[in-house]
Amino acid sequence: MAKVKLSGAKIVVEELKDEGVEVAFGIPGGVLLDLYDVIYKQEALRHILMRHEQCAAHAADGYARVSGRTGVCIATSGPGATNLVTGLANANMDSAPVVALTGQVVTSAIGTNAFQEASTFTITMPVTKHNFLVKRTEDLPKVIHNAFYIASTGRKGVVLIDLPKDVLSDVAEVDLHPKETFAGYKPNIKPNKVQTKKTAEVLANAERPLILAGGGIISSDASEELRSLAELLGAGVVTTLMGKGAIPENHPLCLGMAGMHGHLYANRAINECDALLALGTRFSDRLTAWQLDQFAPDATLIHVDIDAAEINKNMPVDIPIVGDVKLALYDILKWLEKKQKLGGKSVWLQRIKEMHSACEECIHDLRRAGSSLSDMFIKELSIILDDDAIVTTEVGQCQMFAAHYYMTKKPRTFITSGGLGTMGFGFPAAIGAKVAAPDKKVVDIAGDGSFLMTCQDLATCVESDIPVVVCILDNRYLGMVRQWQELFFDKKYSHTGLGLTPDFVKLAEAFGCYGERVEKPEDLEGALNNAFESGKPAVIDMIVGKDDKILPMIPPGGGIIGMIGTERCKHV
Amino acid sequence: MQTRIISLLVEDHPGVLTRMSGMFTMRGINITSLTVSPCETDGLSRMTVAIKGTESELEKVRKQIGNLIEVVKVVDLRADGAIIRDLCLLKVHTKDSDTRLEVMLLAESYGAKIMDATLDSVIIELTEEPGKIDRFVDLMQHFGVKQLFRTGLTAIGRD
Repeated sequence: MAKVKLSGAKIVVEELKDEGVEVAFGIPGGVLLDLYDVIYKQEALRHILMRHEQCAAHAADGYARVSGRTGVCIATSGPGATNLVTGLANANMDSAPVVALTGQVVTSAIGTNAFQEASTFTITMPVTKHNFLVKRTEDLPKVIHNAFYIASTGRKGVVLIDLPKDVLSDVAEVDLHPKETFAGYKPNIKPNKVQTKKTAEVLANAERPLILAGGGIISSDASEELRSLAELLGAGVVTTLMGKGAIPENHPLCLGMAGMHGHLYANRAINECDALLALGTRFSDRLTAWQLDQFAPDATLIHVDIDAAEINKNMPVDIPIVGDVKLALYDILKWLEKKQKLGGKSVWLQRIKEMHSACEECIHDLRRAGSSLSDMFIKELSIILDDDAIVTTEVGQCQMFAAHYYMTKKPRTFITSGGLGTMGFGFPAAIGAKVAAPDKKVVDIAGDGSFLMTCQDLATCVESDIPVVVCILDNRYLGMVRQWQELFFDKKYSHTGLGLTPDFVKLAEAFGCYGERVEKPEDLEGALNNAFESGKPAVIDMIVGKDDKILPMIPPGGGIIGMIGTERCKHV
Repeated sequence: MQTRIISLLVEDHPGVLTRMSGMFTMRGINITSLTVSPCETDGLSRMTVAIKGTESELEKVRKQIGNLIEVVKVVDLRADGAIIRDLCLLKVHTKDSDTRLEVMLLAESYGAKIMDATLDSVIIELTEEPGKIDRFVDLMQHFGVKQLFRTGLTAIGRD
């Protein structure tokens, strides 16, 4: 391709378009004036002006998780970049593909403590998959191409590009759209055939096979293969928080989410199985809990992950497989299809059936004795919203109520901050989700504490016409910490009370959003209809009890079969 | 606990060293020694890292190193299959001519070179495998080591 003479800012926009970027979430600033001058009044790249850089990163993250494409966020130098950091760490921890562009002071001023200077390159190094500080305009094409390649392949993650002011304003002669990549980056996606064959044999011979589906199933779009394998084998399926939606949660083989706040029987199944196929999960401490001897003690453990560094990191395994989970499932299915007979699991299937129905009963029975307003509101929401609706969550009790009681039917419809646990994530992630899927309903299941951390972006929703609905489980407490204080710290509620402000309905109205308060779960449907019909971004303030607890749970130090608060569960 | 030597080919980019050391900090691993130098290929540098840890810790860290984008090649160097060298410069106190002679004789027996001498001190250079340097330094402590500099180790595989 012939060389072209362009300013750095124009090169950036040309390369973004070449990478298929249609939208970026950002906030301009002094050193980004050249870039924003190019973004001005053009159609190809939509820019959504956010009201805080953290939200720009979360929105790009939410966009990526819903669309499966790389999300893009933009922030200026110094405080713009430091504000971005939480959002980058969040996306990277949950392996969401995001490319962040940050402005930087002119190259000659780097290191002088210039106005709005921060060492973004070093600050973001530990929270990104990779980052670049570009020193020459002519390097931009290769850097941008590689940023997208690295973010969206292998174990997906965040790549940041720090762009000094002069790199954007200088003109250089470049070849656009290079294909050259780094010698040291070759993601290992093809699983080893010997290992997949061995896996197929273990699974075929197992009496009590179980599949643990993680976020990797969703990011590699392997839900179909997962379902085929589970049905072919007669294996139960449990998911991680990130894997929620990998299989419809009402599927008869699905036992729901496992782990610290998981379903009782998802955890029991992990304890009872004799072969555990873990797919695209990193065995986080919130999944395995602390007594590892209770975690699949009788099982042959097979771990498939695209990141070799995850194998044997948190959990010693019997059969490691490094590679793309979709390809691994394809191979395992192929081997299994050659087998004559896969029967002999009727006892286990019966057990899965009874565990599944015990679990469903708890989730569906709206007025089950001991139900709290919080879980009833989420159950209502689960019934009201259609299967395609996208739910994002904040972090804390609201998140676990959502994980436990909201029944997810499709991949990429349950978006939550799994690894970092970032309060304030759900609402801006919902903005990104709605931009990725404008025809779908998008609801943020929030807590009052979390929502207050990023609610200023209601202004973004109104100004850019992004009608998401925030449903707040409003207990005027930092609920999850309060729950721990109640259960494990003698009810000393140290600094978890939030007082009575603000009035969320008025807050919504002040921003030009629709607001409504509901006190009874049965009134939620009407309020939601009002919200959707208003066509505006909306806040629904659901008043719940401060003593509502998300149970059962594994107490600190416990193991996967050591759940407390199981009185309300149906026991089978 | 054991020491493992990892030899890396890395892209010669600004920030690679920060990225590498940051990764060790992040994963809670202590670096015993780290050296960086040019290598036979333009645009690449060679890093030799010695780290201490249990077998499983070292295995985990090796994989994390492999995940770094700018790392082109990771080679695990087992002590028995590699030539390992460290360079040491030390200034030893010599209180009289007898001591000076003794220090110089011992240095010679270790294959060390005398780089400079004054009436009250001798500067010695020794390039050797790290264990032998340790023993030599221990020996010199007897006379009084005023200053000690070591480059950190570098290593090359035999095959």
